[in-house]
Amino acid sequence: MDDSRIAFKGTLQQLLEKVEKGEMIPKLQASHAPPCKFWTAFQVINGIRHMAPVIHGPKGCTFSVANAYKMNSCEYRGVPLEPTSCTAQDEADVVYGGEGKLLEAVKEADYRYHPELIVIFSCCCSGIIGDDVETIAQKVEREVNAKVLAIRSEGFGGDFRSGYEDAFRVIMDLMEPPTEKMAKTINIIGARQGPTYTEWTQDLDEIERMVYAIGAKINGILCGGCTLEQIRQARSVELNASWCYDWGQKLGDLMEERFGIPYARTGLPYGLKATEEWLMGVAIPLGLEKQARDMIRQETGELTEEIDTIRRFFDGKTALVEITEFPGPIRALALARMAEEFGAHPIVVNIHPYTIKERMPSIKFLLKQGQNPEVILTKGLFSLGTFRSSWETEAELEMIAAQYDNAIYLGSPLRQPGVTQVNLTTMTGYPHFGYSGIRNIARLIQSSMEHASRPRSKLFREVLYGS
Amino acid sequence: MAESREFLTASAERCHDPYLRCAFYGAAQTALGVTGCCVIAHSPQGCYLLVNAAFGWQDADYTETMILSTKLCEDEIVHGGEELLARTILEAKELGVPILFVLSSCGPEIVGDDIIAVCEDMRPQVDFEIVPIECAGFRGDQNEGTDIALDAMLKKLVVMNGEKVPGSVCLIAPHANSNPTWMGDLAWVKGIINQMGAKVSATLTHNTALSEFQDVASAEGCIVLSHDAGQKAADYLARQFGIEQFCKGIPLPVGFTNTRRWLAELGRRLGAQDIAERLAAEGEKMVVEQCRRKGLEQFFMHRAPAAIVADATVGIPLLHFITEDLEMIPRLLCLRSCLPGVKEILETELKELNLSPKVVYNADVYQSKLALGEVKPEVVFGSNIERHAVEELDIPFVSRLVNPISRFRSINREYFGYVGMLNIIECIHNDWLDRSRSKKRSYKARW
Repeated sequence: MDDSRIAFKGTLQQLLEKVEKGEMIPKLQASHAPPCKFWTAFQVINGIRHMAPVIHGPKGCTFSVANAYKMNSCEYRGVPLEPTSCTAQDEADVVYGGEGKLLEAVKEADYRYHPELIVIFSCCCSGIIGDDVETIAQKVEREVNAKVLAIRSEGFGGDFRSGYEDAFRVIMDLMEPPTEKMAKTINIIGARQGPTYTEWTQDLDEIERMVYAIGAKINGILCGGCTLEQIRQARSVELNASWCYDWGQKLGDLMEERFGIPYARTGLPYGLKATEEWLMGVAIPLGLEKQARDMIRQETGELTEEIDTIRRFFDGKTALVEITEFPGPIRALALARMAEEFGAHPIVVNIHPYTIKERMPSIKFLLKQGQNPEVILTKGLFSLGTFRSSWETEAELEMIAAQYDNAIYLGSPLRQPGVTQVNLTTMTGYPHFGYSGIRNIARLIQSSMEHASRPRSKLFREVLYGS
Repeated sequence: MAESREFLTASAERCHDPYLRCAFYGAAQTALGVTGCCVIAHSPQGCYLLVNAAFGWQDADYTETMILSTKLCEDEIVHGGEELLARTILEAKELGVPILFVLSSCGPEIVGDDIIAVCEDMRPQVDFEIVPIECAGFRGDQNEGTDIALDAMLKKLVVMNGEKVPGSVCLIAPHANSNPTWMGDLAWVKGIINQMGAKVSATLTHNTALSEFQDVASAEGCIVLSHDAGQKAADYLARQFGIEQFCKGIPLPVGFTNTRRWLAELGRRLGAQDIAERLAAEGEKMVVEQCRRKGLEQFFMHRAPAAIVADATVGIPLLHFITEDLEMIPRLLCLRSCLPGVKEILETELKELNLSPKVVYNADVYQSKLALGEVKPEVVFGSNIERHAVEELDIPFVSRLVNPISRFRSINREYFGYVGMLNIIECIHNDWLDRSRSKKRSYKARW
């Protein structure tokens, strides 16, 4: 291996230690920008039905999230386009302040859209000039029919993760004290937008199937298309479980701390062990252990052929799981765990230190659970410009794959590492989670083994990496 | 006799559901039309996504054009981000680009980052041109951003350098056009100019080489390819370099009448009247023959009350097309912008066509939906937003012509000119076919 291209080689734990010391994080991270706090806060709140946002900012922030999130989520849910309104802040508002305009805008939104909930989002402009969105929300709520919340979500105010967390924290104010517990009922938490391209509906379908199969019920998917009523009743459940552990973790912890609702801390249900953990994490607190064990036995028994296929594929191999072009480091770590479960040695390639920093609690949880895969970071990961980073990391991945005589690749078809690869991206229309996921992953694996010798597309390669 | 007409002004000043992005986005669109450039968004990381969207709108190639962000955080908002910008400019040296645009967003402009001074300071240390553009989102909508960026580019990059080149034309703001494949419109215009024996000296902007800016001042004329932006640039070129604006004050070339008129006017300015006449005659013949061979569904169009919800660039020219060529009756026109000169064009059009539709200027989504509910047209020419909006309004048909259309197009389809007419007709037909598929499942098939 050409060590000059390797920036880090060690375990996930060692990488985490470096990141905690402030190492490995580029001082000038000019490219690879995820959304800002405003976008991610909006993404969470957008997953609530009959919610009218009032964005206290200029038009650009507003149309962008409407176009990126609102339109897609409405099409997915099969409802007509819902509003995304703003105060359209201009120069005068920036100079003189826009609180009065915001107050009127909220009243107008209530009158126009008849929402159950209005959420005010602050943007950079309103944040810097100091418009007090929270006080306006409290004040105007007395004058409108809808419940009104405010989130300080100015884009510069935190990393993208803080937008999710603050939005989840704010919706907790909507949760009402339970009159009586909803027996054997859970919330699925950590959803956004409904759905995103890293949390898609087929995985949710499988989670719902498994929950109902053991005799439990779901109050709501917070916030993946849930109603205000489901949020109000969220404290009446016996347990919270996550769709994506990473995004659910904050809300789960907060609800446990504030309301005493236990949170099933389990990773993503990829493969047999993780699926069993996920199910038992729900079943045991609900007193449904027997039903869950029966289900696990039955479903596992029906998958003998598929499990055999997966085991044959992984056994004795070096499984490269590459993150740069893969949607979601947590999902990739779950894949690494599954590869290990079935006999492979996983190596996680190019999980960005920036990602480790922003997902510190989740990474620590996974380490605590015993997941500590080998990690390799290459120099291309730190290149300036997304395209340069992309082709450099592709070349480096090819170089790494060539070092092993038994390497396989799990991840994105955007990569062409020259070894057998399984397309485990999140846009294929079939679940990866749970037992249905195992069935689909076995199918993908079978196909990749049968067609491993086929050449990759020149068209794909040149489009991605240039001629 | 014309019915009474209501010109609504924007009433959505406090609660606005916009069709347009902000000035920062429009400026990014304009900058990214320069080939091989690098754009630095001096902004928090969210604004980077706007630049990313602008990148897509310009059909930029990620193997050539670079976008970066200074990713401003609370520290830079409190202490200023000039130093970070300076470092980012220096880092961009390794990208080997010929020109770098620095775009400032709301945050740094409010806290007073002086991007012009930073760019001046950095210029001696780099081997590329740097153009700072102060285009914070609060300065206006994306069309205003296009004007801001064009102004900055023209002032920084264009100098008077020699004689006028006869028959040379500069094209302005082709991208301020809601046809999702507006590059087709630009290509059509360029083709027409070539056929008239003239040449395009510069396009501001799309696939514009840095060297093209040197030829701008020597252009004999310019054409603004948008009714939403670009007029200020044309005025500047006229004032500063004596460049005449061609085809001013008439609608862009959509439909038989507008195209013939636009061609005739351009032919007159370029001394190519005969060619213009021939192009119009051949084009009209081609459209008729093509529709005869392929079919032209007329049943749902004849005298159908129609609405146009679009930008002015597509919306105003569509009036003539759907009224005269497709025999519909426009009852509502919701325009996403409202430039003074463009209002005059619209007034003239309505008078000429003896139409009195309801007109909403600077429309937002709510106003459009409200107006659609009041007018209840049978046919709407708009975007995917209107496709959603009419669902609860008992309006049977929406043709998605303008951005966002939620349809993938790999080929650039123009709306201008004669093939453009066929492209619009094709869109209308396809949306009509889609519409006939019921959403209700009446029974289960047996096979």
